Formats: sequence, C-alpha cells, structure tokens
Amino acid sequence: MKNGFIFLVGLFAAIAMSWGGIVLGTHAQLGSLTPYYDDTEGKSFPERTTGLAARGQLVYADLGCAACHTQQVRRPDYGSDQARGWGDRQSVARDYIHQARPQLGASRIGPDLTNLAGRKPSAMDSEDLMKLLYVGSGTHPSYKFLFVEKQIVGESSARALRVSGAGAVAAGHEIVPSERAQTLVAYLLSLNTAYDYPESRPLPPPAKAAPAAGHAETHAAPAAKSEMKQEAKK
Amino acid sequence: MTNDSTHATSAEVTAIDSQARGPLCVLLASGLAWLVISGVLGVITSIQLHTPGFLADCSFLTFGRAQALRETSFLYGWIANSGLAVALWVLGRLGGSPLRVLNWAVAGALFWNLGLTIGLIGIGTGDMTSFGFFQLPRYVQPLMLIAYGAIALPGVLAWSGRRTSGLYASQWYGVAALFLFPWLFSAAQIVLLWAPLRGTLQAVAAGWYTQSLWSLWLAPLALTGAYYIVPKVAGRSMPSYDFSSLGFWTLVVIGGWTGGRHLVGGPVPAWIATMAVVACSMMLFHYIVVALNLRIASHGSGTAIRFIRFGLVAYSLTGLLDALSSFRGVAVEWQFTLLATALEQLGLYGGISMMIFGGIYYMVPRLTGRPWASGALTSGHRVLVSLGVVLLIVTLAVGGWTQGDELLNPKLGVGTIYTQLKLSLMIGTAANVALLAANLFLLVNFIRSAVVCCGTSAAAESAFRQPAALEAHAS
Repeated sequence: MKNGFIFLVGLFAAIAMSWGGIVLGTHAQLGSLTPYYDDTEGKSFPERTTGLAARGQLVYADLGCAACHTQQVRRPDYGSDQARGWGDRQSVARDYIHQARPQLGASRIGPDLTNLAGRKPSAMDSEDLMKLLYVGSGTHPSYKFLFVEKQIVGESSARALRVSGAGAVAAGHEIVPSERAQTLVAYLLSLNTAYDYPESRPLPPPAKAAPAAGHAETHAAPAAKSEMKQEAKK
Repeated sequence: MTNDSTHATSAEVTAIDSQARGPLCVLLASGLAWLVISGVLGVITSIQLHTPGFLADCSFLTFGRAQALRETSFLYGWIANSGLAVALWVLGRLGGSPLRVLNWAVAGALFWNLGLTIGLIGIGTGDMTSFGFFQLPRYVQPLMLIAYGAIALPGVLAWSGRRTSGLYASQWYGVAALFLFPWLFSAAQIVLLWAPLRGTLQAVAAGWYTQSLWSLWLAPLALTGAYYIVPKVAGRSMPSYDFSSLGFWTLVVIGGWTGGRHLVGGPVPAWIATMAVVACSMMLFHYIVVALNLRIASHGSGTAIRFIRFGLVAYSLTGLLDALSSFRGVAVEWQFTLLATALEQLGLYGGISMMIFGGIYYMVPRLTGRPWASGALTSGHRVLVSLGVVLLIVTLAVGGWTQGDELLNPKLGVGTIYTQLKLSLMIGTAANVALLAANLFLLVNFIRSAVVCCGTSAAAESAFRQPAALEAHAS
C-alpha cells in the first residue's frame, strides 16, 4: 500500500460497490413498482393518500413519532405482530410507494401503527386520537402544543375536544385542535393496509398433522420459498 | 492521579505538535462542548423514556426530536470534531512534517459547527429528515460537506506530502476516514434528500448510510488513534502486523454491505437482510485482526491506554454482537427493542468514544507541553465515564432483553411491557447523569490545561526537538 493513488482508488471502489449493490440494486429491483390494479374492485392499490393526510405525515415525521412507533408489520410466523392485531399480513414494499417519507421506525416502545385505522374489532377514531394527543396517558406524552385553548365566543367550535378530568378547561373555554393536529390525525386515520396484494397473502397455516409442527424449521421453509417466489415475480 | 502517558516531558513536544496546537485545540474544545450538550440531551431523553410527560409540552423537545438532537450532536459534534482532531494530529506526526494549511481546518471547524448549530435548531423546529444518524436538515448538509473538506485538508496534505516511504496502519485508517466520509455523506444526500428514492428504498439507502458511517468513518477515526498510541505506550512492536492490512480492507470493503442489518423481516427485498447477515459475519475477521494487533494494549499503563483498552474491548464486543443480532432467529427478538439501543451505545460510547478519549488524553499534553491541569479531574472522568457506560449498556440490555421476550408474547400489551421497563429506564437516567458529570470534568480539565498553555506558549515552543524519525516509526 505504498502507492497512494491506488490506495484511494481502492477506497473509492469499495464504497462504490456497496452503494451500487445495495442502493442501486434495490432501486433496479423495486424502483419501478407500480400500484396493483384490482379488476373486481375496479381500482388500484395502494390508494393515494389525501392531501390532508400527506401533510399529516410530515407532522408525524417532524415530531419524531418514529422514535417510538414502527410502521412495518412482520410476516405472520416471524414475531407476534399478527397475533397482536397489528395487521393480518406482512407489510410489503408496494404499501409505501405513494409515501413521500416512509416512517418504518426502529423502536417499539409504543405499538406499531401500520394498520392503525384498520384494527379489528374496533379501531381508534378521530376523537380517541385527539384525546390521546391532548391528554396523554401513562405511556403516551400529551402534546398540548398541538392544541389551542380559547374562549368560546358565540357558538362553540364543532371541532372542540370534549375532555373531562385531567385535561378539562375552565368554563367558557374550549380546546380546539390546531391545523397540525388535524392533519396528523387525518394521517393516522389513513393508515390502513387491509388490501391483500398477491405478494402479501398470508402464508398458509402450517399443516397441523405434520409430525414436527412444533419445530421452527417447518415454518421457516415454506416462508423462505414464498419469499423467493415473490422476489421472482418482482 | 496522573501518570506517564498523560504527562509529556517537554522533550516529546515537537514542532509538529506546537504548530498544530491552536487549530487542534479549537476542534477539541468544540468536540467536548458538543459532548456536554449531547449529555444534557441524553439526560432529558432518558427521563422522557420513563416519564413520558417530561417536557412533552415543549415542542422543541418531544422525545423524537430530543433523541434526534442528542444523536446528531453526539455524532457530528463530539465524534466529528474530536475524532478529526486526533486523526489530523496522528497523520501530521506520521507524515513527519508540521501540518500545513491549518487555517483551513480552523475555518472548516467554525463553519462545521455553525452548520451543526443551525441544523440542531432546524431539528428542534421540525426540519429533521427522520433517517437515523442522518437527521440534519437538508439545508445545512451542503455547507457541512464543504466545511468537512476544509477540516480534512491538512490531514490529506500531511499524508500525500509525507516524508516517510511506507504507510502505517493508523495512516490507512486516518486517510480512509477523511476521504470516505464526503463520499458517503453526499451519496446519501442525493438519494435521500435531493432526489429521494421511492418508498421503502429510502429505508434501504438510510440503512446503507448508517452502517457505512459506522464502518467507513466512525471506526476508522477511532482506530487511527488506537493504532498509533497503543504500540507507543505499550512499548512493543505490534503483533500479527501483517494481518492488519487484511483487517483494514475487510472493514472497508465489507462494511457497507451490512446496511440491511436493521431491516430483517421488513418490507424490503429479503436478500438485503441475507446480505447483511453474511457481511456482519465476515466483518468478524476485521474485529479479530484488530483485537490481535492491539492485544498489546494490556501492557502499558496510564490514563490514555486504559481508555483505549476499554474502547477496544467494547469495539470487539460490538462486532461480535452485531454479527449475532443480524441473524434472523435473534433479530426476531432483539429488533425494535432497547437491546438495539444498548448495542448502538456499546459501539458509539463504549467503543468509539472511549478510544477517542484515550487519544485526547495522550495528545493534549503533547500539544500543550504540560501535563493535564488536574489529576483528580482526570481520574474522576475516567472512573465516572467507565461506570456510566457500563451501567447504561447493562441496564438497556437487561431491559431490552425482557422487552424483546415479552413482545413475542401477544397476550402482554405494549403498554404493560413498557411499564415493566421503568426500573431499567430509571437506572439508565442515573447512568446518563454520571456520563454528563464525567464529561463536564473533562471539559473543565481541558479548558484549564489549554488556558495555562496559552499563557506560556513561548516557553513550550522552545522545548521541542527534532523529532521526525522517532515519531514516525512506532505505528
């Protein structure tokens, strides 16, 4: 390594290879992924998010919600994501193609939010979310700066929060969600991955009769195969 | 308590050192100031973890933002400034002549820190990018890229104009760190900020950046100092030195391919994760070579070598646990938990920062020509920071282990799991307070040492000797 020029070329080649392989490689594979057109439903999935929800995603990103919440459901036999009701199927790349800034997240201090609006049997509605954001809970901070407390002049606002107890305000006053709170909640309510793409269909449950049903290997093998099939399709 | 390696007899202060004193002290002072700032933010985020209501109403410091601020000031404030100071100094010494164009480094440092300050204000007001290790807002990134070039210039010139014929391991690492950061920083900027990739490809590119930053910048910066100082303090030649180039190229060539380590089971092509498993395991070769080369660190005595010894153990452990945690069977439990945070802290604080601390303790007396101002502050820093790091990592790891285990059990709600973590998280706050106190000691000690030196710089200047041959051969 006495030749400085060759040394630098080597360094450059190393970084270029990994960048080319990982970044350009996946771009070549998935960069042109298109929405999936469903003949029976007569429309494409994933559906585009509304302008309000798209702005809400920016609020989600700039507040750093991803520090505690993931937005990626792992496949049914990998972790307990499905059993927790976070989603019936794994998240796939196609779910995110319309998102300007996918918020996959890396920490699950709070629950996963991939399919927040599609939870069964009942999902949180706008009022629940507003209250959680305003009042907080033992496990969730209250973000009062997303709301405005103001005096009621004339009729009270249709958007005013009905809070009692800890978050209640003085008589004659009301709590109104700011525009940011409204977009954030619109975004959270747009998080729904109910549609099944061909590549995301839940794996067939492992045959119960199989003698080694308790072994992880028997689950993993079909999983790996189907992953390969999906890759081949792409 | 002070001892040999933190003292520099006046005979050891060379022209190379005395001319670099001012500029390198600027870098070090900014690095230590950022370390204290990130320490304050570390305390805030760790309190927020167990008491979610803490400062929640302050929109600048929601947990997500405070976390991004802490991480950014730690990486781009502390490690960048101090790591570059150590690397420049080592490259200057091994180049055999005084560092040139140090004015550029000073100007670069000023603009780098200006950019970082604006960037942090940007994060606080909602402009963060939401990519890990890459949170700085788009508008300061080009400025920081240019400023980085200015800081790195003296190091590159010292290397290209070196008077010695061969290259030493610390030079490879130093030059690699200086040369590669602008490439990966700009490559990430293009695909994430200027012409963003589509959907989850952003996560893939962000993963590539995070892991490349680790293996092509953070690790080389720390190893530059370690490879230079360890043989000098231990007073022995480096064992298995022939392997060191293989270890170096393994890190550089394989490092970037570990990018999918955190995307196991995610909505990205499965080969990304598989590649990361393979790459993380291959990287073990690098960690083994570093451990073999630097095992002589067990011999020397003194503050500097003690820090580096701690750093090397943590660094090797990081490599081992990285490889282990990349496997799918392990990742299913460790992913998304505090164990991932513990592992990150093990690498960044236990590994990289401790090695840089060692470098600082070795370098400052040689820059100033005097021992550290206070032995008590030196040993206070060493004891507190070691305790703090161990406590932080152990509590996060224990908490993360239970969290990972319980997350696999769908009957336990996420809220319940979180509530059970509170004890670990509270001990984590204590660890963060200890770290903050320790780093305040270091900052005060550094300021006192630097101020004393400035008052009597003329006396120290006269104390140098002709050094090149002696300084250049040890690495």
